[in-house]
Amino acid sequence: MPNKRKRKATTSNTATMWNSSRSSKKSSRKGNYGNSYSSLDEAEIEKMFEDLLTAAEDNGDDGEEQSSNDMATMEGISNLCESLGLDPYDLRVMVLLWKLDATSKPQQISKTEWMEGCVNLQVDSIEKLKELLPSLDTGFLDETEFKDFYKFCFQFNREGTHKTLEKDLVLDLIPLVLGTTNRIPSERYDSFNAFLKQSPDYTRITLDQWTSFWDFCQECPLLSDYDEATSAWPVLIDDYVEYTMKNGS
Amino acid sequence: MAANQGQKIVFLEEGWEDVKKAIDKLEEMLNGGMTTSKFATNEYIDIYTKCYDMCTQRSPYNWSRELYQRHGETIENYLTSTVLPALREKTGQGGTILLTELQLRWSNHQIMNKWLKKFFVYLDRYYVKHHTLPTLSQAGLKSFRQHIYEETKKDATESILHLINAEREGEIIDKSLVKSIVELFESMGMGSLDAYNADLEEPLLESTREYYAKKRQEWIATDSTPDYLIKAEAALNEERNRVADYLNQSSESKLLKVVEEEILEKVETVLLEKEGSGCRVLLANDKSEDLQRMFQLFSRLENGLNPMASIVENFISTMGMDVINRRQARLDGGEKDKPDDPKFVKALIDLHEKYLGVVKKDFSGHSLFQKALKDAFVEIVNKDIGQHTNAELMSTYCDRVLKSGGEKLSESEVEESLDRIVQLFSYLTDKDLFADIYRNHLAKRLLNQRSASDDAEKVMIAKLKMQCGTHFTSKMEGMLADLAVGIEQRNEFEAKMRQQDTKLDFGVQVLTTGFWPTYKSPEVTLTDDMSKCMDLFCDWHDNKHQKRKLTWVFSLGNASVRATFGKKSYDLQVTTLQAVALNAFNDGKTLTFTELAKLLNLDEAIMKPLMHSLSCGKYKVISKTPASNKINATDKFKSNQKFSSNMRKIRIPMASLDASHNTKRVEEDRSIAIEAAVVRIMKARKTLQHQQLIAEVLSQLAFFKPQPRVIKKRIEALIEREYLERSADNMNVYNYLA
Repeated sequence: MPNKRKRKATTSNTATMWNSSRSSKKSSRKGNYGNSYSSLDEAEIEKMFEDLLTAAEDNGDDGEEQSSNDMATMEGISNLCESLGLDPYDLRVMVLLWKLDATSKPQQISKTEWMEGCVNLQVDSIEKLKELLPSLDTGFLDETEFKDFYKFCFQFNREGTHKTLEKDLVLDLIPLVLGTTNRIPSERYDSFNAFLKQSPDYTRITLDQWTSFWDFCQECPLLSDYDEATSAWPVLIDDYVEYTMKNGS
Repeated sequence: MAANQGQKIVFLEEGWEDVKKAIDKLEEMLNGGMTTSKFATNEYIDIYTKCYDMCTQRSPYNWSRELYQRHGETIENYLTSTVLPALREKTGQGGTILLTELQLRWSNHQIMNKWLKKFFVYLDRYYVKHHTLPTLSQAGLKSFRQHIYEETKKDATESILHLINAEREGEIIDKSLVKSIVELFESMGMGSLDAYNADLEEPLLESTREYYAKKRQEWIATDSTPDYLIKAEAALNEERNRVADYLNQSSESKLLKVVEEEILEKVETVLLEKEGSGCRVLLANDKSEDLQRMFQLFSRLENGLNPMASIVENFISTMGMDVINRRQARLDGGEKDKPDDPKFVKALIDLHEKYLGVVKKDFSGHSLFQKALKDAFVEIVNKDIGQHTNAELMSTYCDRVLKSGGEKLSESEVEESLDRIVQLFSYLTDKDLFADIYRNHLAKRLLNQRSASDDAEKVMIAKLKMQCGTHFTSKMEGMLADLAVGIEQRNEFEAKMRQQDTKLDFGVQVLTTGFWPTYKSPEVTLTDDMSKCMDLFCDWHDNKHQKRKLTWVFSLGNASVRATFGKKSYDLQVTTLQAVALNAFNDGKTLTFTELAKLLNLDEAIMKPLMHSLSCGKYKVISKTPASNKINATDKFKSNQKFSSNMRKIRIPMASLDASHNTKRVEEDRSIAIEAAVVRIMKARKTLQHQQLIAEVLSQLAFFKPQPRVIKKRIEALIEREYLERSADNMNVYNYLA
């Protein structure tokens, strides 16, 4: 398979082949379906899922076993983190979940997603997952991938059926997601956080606002270039610029 | 050669001799100053025949060419030997002497030309045509032009210009003299006006320009604007007359343009802004005639009216601001900020009326000035001060005009007032706010039967409809329709009721939800009699309209209560709630506030104004312990046996329970309207750039003008609800999501 996209060389031996076609979001992250280079033990993958992720679901609240067998919640995920030796707030967890395409439900990953994701990443054991860890640095992602990942962070962290995120969560997420890359200067997102914190108007943040912040930083590195009169940016951004102008940022 | 026609051959010199005799005679006549032809018919015929013969003889005896030549020579000789010296003599003698001589000579030439042509006319028929030569008269004119005109034209022009300037200064000149010289210039063009234009008109325009430039400087230094304009007007009239008197008609527009440029265009700004007499001053002092003149004069200039319209707009704006500042001053001075300020509204109406008249009369209703008036008023009318918007003040004013007991006006005065208010209304940006408040007032009037005239209500609604379309007034019309239907229904129901035996006379007004403002509807416990009536109506109504649901609004409605205090009985006109409350005090009961509240099933917010109206108002039919002007939860109430009044029928008003209008609702309606507009536009266009979307939304919203930010927020809300999305390639573009 021709590998059109440049990527930084990793030091690990993990064979991760990326499919070059960008039209399908899934394949850009995941590589080829059903194309096993080395022989993977699918049964092992399934076992991993059941052991780590759903074993923690030992709550006897309801007898609905079928849901806990097919979906792993945050408890199971933090279990996974433990066995990988990762802090649950390590961004690499997010990256892993993103690469596994855990998009069906927020804060959960389904068995199917796990199975397919692991195949694509060519892992079938905890050890192989551990070897994968260095490649989970966001520095390896290009512009488009990072934006996709950035969006994923929002979508994944929603609660239940909410379409928006609580402000406090956003305040935590932004430095977490953006802090590991140099794509946006820290002054920018720090000032944004400061603005959000003091603003009484915004208690929940929408996906549109979240993504617009990213686009805004890309398109307007200089705040003096900003023109509110003609801007199509969300009002949140207008307010943010006004705030920084007033407070001399 | 023998004469082959049996005629004697005329030899050239022979024939010419005869002709020459006639010519000499002609010249003599001219010199003698005789302008009447003294050629007898037979003399003329002889000459003509001779020429004819000489031209029709066969060659070599055809003397056409020679005759033609000699014709030309004759004229040339005459001109150069006689005419030219005469003119030269008169040149330099100034004034009209040259011109008079020129006039004579020209007149003579015309006669000569005419007779010579008559003599030689046969040449014109064949020889001239055959050889494509100038005709005899053309040749004659050319000769004159060449030998006389070219030499004297400059002096002639100078003399004429001199005369014209003299006439401008007031002297009387010989107009017919000038006119004939002008005709000479015209003729010298030989079919076109080239000679006239180049040799007379051009210098005239230049000298006119000089003349008026000087005048302008004189006048502008000393005259006030109105005086200057009077002079300017007079000058233009004078020049126009001059052209009619003795110049060529084609010069009129050019001449007037020069004058306009010099005395109007170049000083327009100075005139408009002259201290003490400029446009503003004229407006301030209602100098109608001067303004009319100013308008007439400046309308002649291209773009001449724009600066004037601008001043007018500013002026009206300032006057409007004065009205507003006066209101502000009253408020600052301690006057209460009520939603009712008829003085202010009337002042605005009067101001508008006044300048509407000025635009019509002084500015002939010109569109530029209509726009100036409109722009000024848009600025004024939308400047809100104090707690109440102008939309509200205007609506309240309408209420005054339309309700009984408000302004005391005759029918035509009412119509006039409404007309004028609607004109002011047309300048409001927040028309939807006005509509909301107006509807509330209308509802109050209709439900309490305080409307002075049904016709007036209809008229007003019709006027609003004309301004804003049917959608704007649909609810109002709905309200009126409800009442009309209600009357029929009531009659039907009354007939039904008479069959039953109810102790109360009972009527119901059915309102269509959506047309009327929303009212609070407390679930008060009615008396048994009342409940019975209500049930009766419900049955009857449900029978008639199965699909309709009734919600009773007890906070509205009136009742007439027969109250007996001691020996006297009174008819109390009260609200439904008051009636229910009063009923509780039959049999001399004493009730505490809380007891009563429980009995009636009303909360404190309603109980307080209710009991206040019965025990603390003008007519204290209920006595309160302790007696004070405030209702407290600890008060006790009892029917006031000591109550008395001179009147038999007493109306006990109660404070209205609903807020006068709900700004929040208007905001909500606006949000909905904006979103609807966005969706409509995006559905049609599928994809649109941000700025364009904003522009289209603004143009679609007729009744208010939101800030772009507000529109943006609505767009974001629609993105959230997945009606739209941002384009992936361009952040500034939206796509419609079907």
